[in-house]
Amino acid sequence: MPKILDRIMDAIDFETFLVCNSDEEGRKLIVQLIKEWGFKDVDIVFSQHQGPGSRIRARAYVHRSGDVYGWLELGNEE
Amino acid sequence: MSRKKVLLVPLDPVHDVGLKMIRRGLDDAGHETILLPPDIPVHEIVQEIVKQRADTVLVSRTLGYGVAELLANFVDLLDVVGVRSRINLGIGGMAIRPELAAELGFDAGFGPGTTVEEALAFVEGREYVEASQKIVKNKKEMAEGYSYSYRHEGIQAKLNLIVDMILNWAANKTSPGVQRAAIREELWDVNRWRNYESMTDFYNEYKLYCDDLGKNYYEKGILHPKTRRFTKEEIISSEEYVRRTQEVIKIPKLQHNRTKPLVFNQYGTGCPFMDIGHIKVSEAWGADGVVHFDPSWGARSEGFLDGFLTHQEDGTVITPANLNRIKRALEKSTLWQVRAHRGLNTPETIVLAGKIGADLTKINIAYGCLGAGTDPARMTVDGIWAIRYAAKYNLPFDVVTNEELCGVPAYKAFAGMLITTALGIRLGGKPILQPLFCKSPEVMVGGQMKDNYVEFNAAKIMALRQIIDAPIWPGAPVGFLTQTEDRVQSSASTAFHASLAAMLGVDAVTIASSDEAYSGGPISVPSKIDTLRAVGEGFRFFGQTPLASTPQMEVWRDTIVSGIDSVLAKIVERDDFVQSLYEGILGNREDGAYPGRNGKDTVTTI
Repeated sequence: MPKILDRIMDAIDFETFLVCNSDEEGRKLIVQLIKEWGFKDVDIVFSQHQGPGSRIRARAYVHRSGDVYGWLELGNEE
Repeated sequence: MSRKKVLLVPLDPVHDVGLKMIRRGLDDAGHETILLPPDIPVHEIVQEIVKQRADTVLVSRTLGYGVAELLANFVDLLDVVGVRSRINLGIGGMAIRPELAAELGFDAGFGPGTTVEEALAFVEGREYVEASQKIVKNKKEMAEGYSYSYRHEGIQAKLNLIVDMILNWAANKTSPGVQRAAIREELWDVNRWRNYESMTDFYNEYKLYCDDLGKNYYEKGILHPKTRRFTKEEIISSEEYVRRTQEVIKIPKLQHNRTKPLVFNQYGTGCPFMDIGHIKVSEAWGADGVVHFDPSWGARSEGFLDGFLTHQEDGTVITPANLNRIKRALEKSTLWQVRAHRGLNTPETIVLAGKIGADLTKINIAYGCLGAGTDPARMTVDGIWAIRYAAKYNLPFDVVTNEELCGVPAYKAFAGMLITTALGIRLGGKPILQPLFCKSPEVMVGGQMKDNYVEFNAAKIMALRQIIDAPIWPGAPVGFLTQTEDRVQSSASTAFHASLAAMLGVDAVTIASSDEAYSGGPISVPSKIDTLRAVGEGFRFFGQTPLASTPQMEVWRDTIVSGIDSVLAKIVERDDFVQSLYEGILGNREDGAYPGRNGKDTVTTI
């Protein structure tokens, strides 16, 4: 994992508006997009679909509770 | 519909509020309900289902930890005891997603935000029709019900004198803007234009009154350097996008139990296609109306270009084709405002907007000169004709007071607003007062908002109501100079200001996006949704709660009213409205107001 990601305390959120036909499609597309970026632990925090598309906030957890937190190692860096 | 026996099961340590709400709905609909207490082990719940011989079982689950295992175990047990196949089994709650419910073998899963009506439809085995689908919005006439009668005799008398003064001064004057508007009015037929018929007579006459930008376009086909024409492929794709969106769009209502204020937001990304994308989203998230923003250079140019043009900077170019495309993309219920309040194309903007089918426009002579850069004499001549055309095309117009943002005190800006309003009434128009809800330089220096943003804004509305019975539309946008780049703060501030407007019973508000304070590029569509959702939540929170008057509001109300009266008295004494603008009676250099220079020396005597 790149060092900058280590500095994320727990999660990174991605927010956007996706032009899509349904809530399900919007959820599927955003998860797919974020997984393509290399994140594995992805969830949808909020999604609201209306006619033109979905207002959506997706989340990738970098450190779940109980993980070994990369940011604790920062003090050991030169 | 037969009466159902429904067992309500909070499969949760504590949470059963949702089920209690659903029980009430089911009871009201005549069904028999049994609500189990929370925190019962799964095997006991299953025993109860068997014992009660329920038709339907509704389970709720709020906590997310271990939910899949727990529910799978629950459904397995129902299978084991042989009741799963004979019951209608639904589950809902914060931890539930429809896809999870389906995976686990439930007949339906209801996520967060499920309504009682939705659960009732499931119990009764009928298709649920979303409430938002049932809402039919109609365009609202904002000026309806207002008499435009004055409540302050002294101010009324002064305004009448000033209106006489303005009309007498302008009676023998014209400008290139007035002449272009007349040519557009007489020679430009919107139906012929829509049918691609020849408009040579119009163009030959029109270009004579344009500056170099317009002449270069009409004579040599040269566009403004920041614009380009759309390709045929782009146009076809855009039409298809609009068609698809219009087929599926539903129009929600933001006002909860109120009928007003109407909620407007602004568009003007530079590109009509992106604007249409933004507009469709605004409509889908509850905006009642949208406001067209044109580029700042449009206000300094003599004449409009033509053609279907996109622009690489903020502000969407006003051309017949651009306005026409945007108009065609609007839902029937959406109010459409095309601003004409400043600049050298003011009267023609109204003719064009009227012919293409706008619902509202924006005019203010004082702001156009003092805050927007147009020469006072030119703005006055053009403003009068703009109002005449607005009356002819039945376009109510707001009288914006954004000179407050320069530093002009509210009472001076309001005096200017009331003059344009009085002129509008005299010429048969329907003016709408537009005080700002803002943290203006006046209050930053004077400390009126040191404690709260409520009282001074409320005092403005109270002052205007003490003077005249007219519609009021705070803007534009509400909360100006209170928003920061942070979207939560920005949305909250917008929602608070819009809620204040609702509690004051005004007719409309214009709201910002949560990008209001961001200046690095065009605003994004999620930022529009942010504030529409926040405003809707504000309206829901306050409902029909009225705002109580405070002694401080009354003090400021009286100060504003007497300030307006004294400004109008000075103009009457000066006996020359245009010179009053040049000399700073409605806002001077110390206030941050400068008489504009665009169009200087272009007014001619007929």
